[in-house]
Amino acid sequence: MHLAFNEDQATFVTVLAQMLGDEAETGFHTVADWGRFDYGTALDARLEEAGFYDAAAEPDLGTVAAAAMVHEVAQVPVTVECAASALLRPFLGDDVPRPLAVVDDEAPGAIRFLPQAGALLSITDGAVRLARLDGQAREVDSLFAYPMGEMARDKLDWQTLDVDPATIRTLWQIALAAELSGVLAGGLSSVLAHVRERTQFGQALGSFQGVQHRLATDAVWLEGARLLMLKAASSRAPQDASLALAHVQNHATRIGYDLHQFMGAMGLTLEHPLHRWTYRARALRAEMGGAPMAFLDYAEARWRAA
Amino acid sequence: MDFTWTEENDAFRARVRDFLDRELPTNWDEIARHGPGSREQTEFSLEFCPKLAEAGLLVPHWPAEWGGADRPTWEHFIMGEEMWAVGEPRGGQYMNVNWIGPVLMRYGSDAQKAQYLPEMAAGRAIWCQGFSEPGAGSDLASLRTKAIRDGDDYVINGQKIWTSYAGMADTCFLLARTGGADQGRSAIAIFLVPMDTPGIEVRAIPSLIGHGDIHEVFFTDVRVPASCRLGEEGEGWTIISYALANERVGIPRYEMSSQVLDLMVGELKARGAFGNAIVRAKAAEAAAACEAARLLVYRVVDERARGVPPGTAANLARVAVVEADHAVTDFGMDFLPDCFSGDGHAGMLAHHERAIVTGIAAGAAEIQLNLVARRHLDLPKGA
Repeated sequence: MHLAFNEDQATFVTVLAQMLGDEAETGFHTVADWGRFDYGTALDARLEEAGFYDAAAEPDLGTVAAAAMVHEVAQVPVTVECAASALLRPFLGDDVPRPLAVVDDEAPGAIRFLPQAGALLSITDGAVRLARLDGQAREVDSLFAYPMGEMARDKLDWQTLDVDPATIRTLWQIALAAELSGVLAGGLSSVLAHVRERTQFGQALGSFQGVQHRLATDAVWLEGARLLMLKAASSRAPQDASLALAHVQNHATRIGYDLHQFMGAMGLTLEHPLHRWTYRARALRAEMGGAPMAFLDYAEARWRAA
Repeated sequence: MDFTWTEENDAFRARVRDFLDRELPTNWDEIARHGPGSREQTEFSLEFCPKLAEAGLLVPHWPAEWGGADRPTWEHFIMGEEMWAVGEPRGGQYMNVNWIGPVLMRYGSDAQKAQYLPEMAAGRAIWCQGFSEPGAGSDLASLRTKAIRDGDDYVINGQKIWTSYAGMADTCFLLARTGGADQGRSAIAIFLVPMDTPGIEVRAIPSLIGHGDIHEVFFTDVRVPASCRLGEEGEGWTIISYALANERVGIPRYEMSSQVLDLMVGELKARGAFGNAIVRAKAAEAAAACEAARLLVYRVVDERARGVPPGTAANLARVAVVEADHAVTDFGMDFLPDCFSGDGHAGMLAHHERAIVTGIAAGAAEIQLNLVARRHLDLPKGA
């Protein structure tokens, strides 16, 4: 039992944090306006160029470093297709293009990142299939703070990959858990900054116990979720992965509510980026059937047949 | 980052389980039914702990100088998991090995160490902690029990309440005020008070959390020699802060919760009720609370094992442990309500009594939320 990153992982996370914090140079955080989403083209390019998306395949970094990366990148207000590239793509074989859009169990409707995607990955119990894209996707308006797209999927030239669907499904659960816990952590940071500064009744909002206890509870849930996610990334066990995803999806609704409550009306405007985290969270909490399905996966893995 | 146990850890856990298999009697569930503070369990601990000590399993993490074997922090924690999972056969003696002994090693005089540590290491000492008072619970620093210096002695007057294990304790780890209330924390000292000292009266408080678990303790002109004081006058708050840092995650409650959850699922399966998707999902939700708590506690232990100074991890962990305990007992009451009447399900009943006190014992969960808010989230203190 050793819950600190190894030396390589610690260096990886430190360098990544420096890159993400380099606001003046990269503009990852400051954008001209706070539209519903903003694809982080500059950030994406820099991560790819520096080889960050290949971490999972490196023995000394592995899926733990990749999951930590997804968690950190999810905290910036621009949106980047990181989760699938970091945690699935290294295990799909050579020459898989990115960005990578993912559809689980042939779920209907618009798909996150499809407008930017170089390929669409379909995960079902029976097969993992890949379709290379060439601008066929149609971008659609959405409440969710992601680029969303639709296309006629049955017309695509699907290629079945020689990978174990259960393994890829587990990795996707870990990736979603990492992204959702990161997205919520990013939202929490922005709200903490607000309640430290905003004064009402002569004192900072964040000094009221009614506010403190709810944000502290959210922090307890998120830190538990982060550790469950890292454990799942370390073991890659289906039971750990489903639990990590279920736990964070289960708490996402309440955390999102708290974040908007304490941001007040400002959180309902496009002048503040809170919606960029909370409306990513709304999309992610429903992925793969949401918390109930992930809980049922876990129950099956732990307790088997009824 | 490695979330697995080493072979050495596994071997140690197997050794503890073998010991429990051998030494726990067939009627252990009945003995453990009413908690570590009950007369039955305390008396059992006085037979059980000496055997643990003889096997080298009571204080393996203590220094060899005091009867231990300088074993790693993680082994001590594995021991705690295995003991709590079966209902804590060490009774209140878990406090001795977790924090009272280490506190005495750090702050005690040579005479105090010589007097108390060998008895603890032999499994023959029952202590109680005289912290809370009628007017000082979460606000522990407002305690009023007074210890007034009188020559070579102190004379103690006051009242403690909610005192676990007091009914059978040999010694009280007592917080008392040596100066005025206006001096706040700086006038608090700790005394190691023999419970047979004239002037001490103990009354059990009937409760929902087991037999003989909580008490009122009255101190009327209790005269103890100054040599009973632990550390210096005014050092009490520093010492108790050190002690509580160990105590907050001292009980691996999630382990018993997790095992009782398995027990509940087994019962539901036997009834053919576990096929219901809602029941299965709710069981998994309770499991998630247990596993989140487990990892948050492991982080505290990991930091301790690596020599990282105590931070806010224990505050976060303590809140999560409360949620886990409640999630499991609430699951049981929702889907197996009949198991909470009669004598048929001692494990669930025993867990329930332990679970409902988790958010209060060793400091209210809301105080931990205050600490998370201020220290972990850097939120400002209220006016």
